[in-house]
Order: sequence, then structure tokens, then C-alpha cells
Amino acid sequence: MLRTECGYSLGRIFLKLFAILPLVVLAGPCAYAVPSYSRQTGLSCASCHYAPPELNAFGRKFKLEGYTFATKPEVSEDEKDHNSGLRLLEAFPLSVLFDTSFTSTKSPQPTTQNGNFEFPQAASLFLAGSWGNHVGSFLQVTYDSQADHFTWDNTDIRYANNSGHLFGKPLTFGTTFNNNPTVEDLWNSTPAWGYPFVSNNVAPSPSAAAIINGSLAQDVAGLGGYTMWNDHLYVAGTLYRSEHIGGTQPNPGTGFGFNIRGVAPYWRLAWQTSTQNNNLEIGTYGMHLKSSPGAITGPEDGYTDWAADFQYDRMLPQLKNDVLSFRGTYIRENSSLVASFGNGAAAVVGHHLNTAQANVEYHFGTRLSGAVGYFNVTGTADPLLFAQAPVSGSANGSPASNGYLLNLSWWPQQNIDLAVQYTGYLRFNGAGTNYDGAGRNAGANNSTYLLVRFVF
Amino acid sequence: MRGIVLRFALGILTCLVILVVPSRLHAQSDAAKVYKANCVLCHSDDGSGSSPTGKALKARDLRSDEVQSRTDAELAEVITKGRGKMPAFGAKLKPDDITKLVAYVRELPKKT
Repeated sequence: MLRTECGYSLGRIFLKLFAILPLVVLAGPCAYAVPSYSRQTGLSCASCHYAPPELNAFGRKFKLEGYTFATKPEVSEDEKDHNSGLRLLEAFPLSVLFDTSFTSTKSPQPTTQNGNFEFPQAASLFLAGSWGNHVGSFLQVTYDSQADHFTWDNTDIRYANNSGHLFGKPLTFGTTFNNNPTVEDLWNSTPAWGYPFVSNNVAPSPSAAAIINGSLAQDVAGLGGYTMWNDHLYVAGTLYRSEHIGGTQPNPGTGFGFNIRGVAPYWRLAWQTSTQNNNLEIGTYGMHLKSSPGAITGPEDGYTDWAADFQYDRMLPQLKNDVLSFRGTYIRENSSLVASFGNGAAAVVGHHLNTAQANVEYHFGTRLSGAVGYFNVTGTADPLLFAQAPVSGSANGSPASNGYLLNLSWWPQQNIDLAVQYTGYLRFNGAGTNYDGAGRNAGANNSTYLLVRFVF
Repeated sequence: MRGIVLRFALGILTCLVILVVPSRLHAQSDAAKVYKANCVLCHSDDGSGSSPTGKALKARDLRSDEVQSRTDAELAEVITKGRGKMPAFGAKLKPDDITKLVAYVRELPKKT
């Protein structure tokens, strides 16, 4: 078996990578309505969210303008002559999240107990709010019970300015420093903030995921810019480098599946329009990166993701302003796995992966929401990249999976979420029956998930 | 690839320069700054409330007769104490800023 310069088996690295990827991808968005924003603005969670973390028009604008809008007391001094100004929140923008959950799969995973309590599943601290004039943050650190430690989670620190004009129309622009492609985005149709909004970290999940679909979350650092023109056109771009949490610095690359060579550009273009009861967004986003698995020199794997997305929110005045949301995204990934092929981790160089996700959600006021989602992944079969293994592997080397996600959330208060979720698989890692070659069917991984979440 | 990345970075930098420079040249009064920082989010740049946020929240058109017919004291009270979905700004803004803001709102119909 081929090894890297440092003696690591690339096959092992890939196996690890593909074991971890589904956890990252299906762990879903790790962020929520953050109470410190509420304390800063004097507004309820429902002012920014249909249901957390789904942003409404006000929430999008709040984020676009750098999380800085405040109505509460500040320590402030105006700029004068050659003296700088000051603007500090009197209340420190700190929040806490606590998740506890129960997960059960249709069939137990071999040699493990079925029906798992996690107390907690996760607990997060947020530094989320205005840092000063034009600068604010969404910054999260999370304790994960399985890893038994705190680690850095989604982060978006931004500078924003709403005083621009272009062609006589208002223009908001800013910069973002973040650690997850699409975490800067304003809509819930892109991966970082997409459906499902809560998810378990116990049940098996499909092996294949596009790089922009969570594979790089909290494993990169990026600096980018964004702008919204005339409340219609949103353009954003970020350049990313690998930043392995827990890894040594300078980065030797060993033990990590993605080591970005040079920089990886991410782009986003979206157009939105609205009437009193309708909000529509259509857009495109994508990313290109070259990476050396487990190393920082030598052959490279290349990935290019092209994606399209849409979101439509319809307010229903005749039903007490309930909101019906439709969202979807399609991601086409083309990859050239020269390094992986050379190291025996891929059977062919050229790959593609198609990911389609769509969901519809009905919000009964701010108290209840019910959602149905469908997902479908297809792509190039590769018996080395998607190797056979019990439960997590594929007997035919195919990345194809599809299924549905049902979610019901009840919010007795706006900061307490009681959710029940069911994930059903029609096909898992290439087949509906005996997908892993060890006799396990796709439906065996169907899971029921109960969650209680407090944020304060 | 390196060329693409450099062009991408240059593009971002150019955009930022284009965007930042005009905004710097666009001098604003104190009242305009207060309005930008606190009111634009819902009421739009021109006071119309025609932004997605304004439409969703049914924000008042500050240029309308309904708003302009209020006395200065009434407008100041709404800003200070809030009303309906509009939050109170009395804890954040100084009375002097609120007075300037009311004057700025009076100017909005003339700007259209």
C-alpha cells in the first residue's frame, strides 16, 4: 500500500475521512436563534426567524449589516476631529445552547446498543453580537459529548457598511472572516444553514458528500467580501485556506483529507425579490479547490462544485400570517482525483457527484413547524473510494443514496425547541438491499430522533 | 489556476475599492448617520419602507401623510418608546439624536 512522505497510509486517511464526512454533513447546521442578538436589539427571536435558524427578511438584513443593529444602551463616543469613536454594547453578547437527544435506528448497528440518549448531545457558547461600529460576529464553540471536548464551531466575523450607493440605489457591502463555505450566506437553501436544521450524530449516514456540502466546515479559514445592491442582488466571494482545528502549525497536512493548495475560491450570486407576503430568492454558488490528501506537496486532487439554489417564502395573511417555505439546491461536483488515484485510494481519476435536496415547511405561527425533505445523491462508482465495509461501506462502490426527512418542531417558548425527526432511506451507499455486502438494507439505517433544545 | 485565483482576488479587491470610495466621498450629516444606523433596516434609505424587511414588517412609509401629519413630539415619542413591531430606541439614542432624527424624517418627502 502506498504511503505518504510521513508514513501515513492514504487509504487509511480516506477511510477516516469518509467515516467522518457523513457526521459532518448530516450533523446539519449547528447554529440557531441566538439570544444575545435578542438582548442587543430588544426584539424577539421571531423578529429574525420564521423558526430558528431560518432567517426572514429582517434576519437576513440584520446579518447582512454585520449583526450590529442595536436598540439597547451602548457605551459610545462620536468621532471628532482626529479622535476615534467608540461603540460598545453595555451587555456582553454571550449566549448558551444546550441540546439533549434520543436516537434510535430501525436496526441496531452490529455490536452496539440501539436507542441512544445523549445528555447533552451538544452544548454551545456563542459570542454573537456587535463588536463596535460596523463590526459584529456570530461565533460559536461547541462541546460534543462523543468527542468529550469543546471545539471551534461555525464562525462569521464581519465588517458591514450600509452607506454605499451604486447607480443611485442603496448598496450594503462588507467583509467576512469565516470558517465554513456558505456560512456567510443569507438564505436557508445553501448547505451551512440548510435543512435539516437539527440532526442526530448517532445513526449511519451516506458516505458521499460534495466538498461544499459541509466537508470543509470548521476545517478552513476564509476572508471574503460581499455586497447587496438595491435589496435585490447579492454577490459574495471568499478565498479559503486549510485551517485544521487541533492540527499543528505550520500545517504538515498529515492526517487530514483536505489540504488546500494555494487558495480555494468560493463564489455566490443571488437575486431576491419581495412583495408584502412573498420572498423569492434564486441563486448560484460554488467552489474550486486543489488539495493533497494527507500532505502539502505532491500530486493534487481537484474539485469544482457548481450549485444552484432557490428559496420561496409565502406569508398567508388569511391564516394568521403562517408561512409556507419551499427550498432547494442542486450541486454538481466534478473532481479529478489524481493524487488519490496515484495512491491507490481511487480506482479512476475522473469523478462526478450530483446532489439534489428539496424541502417544504409549514410554520404555524412561531409555535410549530412541520417539514418534509427529499435528498438524492448519485455519482461515479468507485470500489476504492467507496469501499466495501459493514454498515458504512458500499458493496458496489456506488455513492448513490436517496431518502426523505420528516421534521416536526414545537416551540413552547421561542427559545425552547422540542423536535421529532424521522430519516428514511430508499437507497444507501449504492443499493436498497444488502448495500454493504454484509446483509444490511438501506432501511435498517432509518432513524427516529428526539431533541430538546434550550437557548438562553 | 494561479491566474484564476489572482484574478478572483483582484476582482474582490477592486469591488471593495469601488464600493468603499464612493461611500467615503458621500458625506453624511449626523442625522443621516443616525438614520442609516438605526432606521434603514426597516424603513429603507428613502423612508419608503419598500425593502424586503419593510414589506415583511409592514413598516410605515415615513414620507406618507399619515406619518408626516404627526407632531414632532409624537414622532419623538414613537422613536423613544417604540410602537407595534418597532422597537424602542430611547435607551440607545440621546434626546438630541432623536430630535435630529425627527427633523431628518421631515426632510424625507422633499428628497423624493
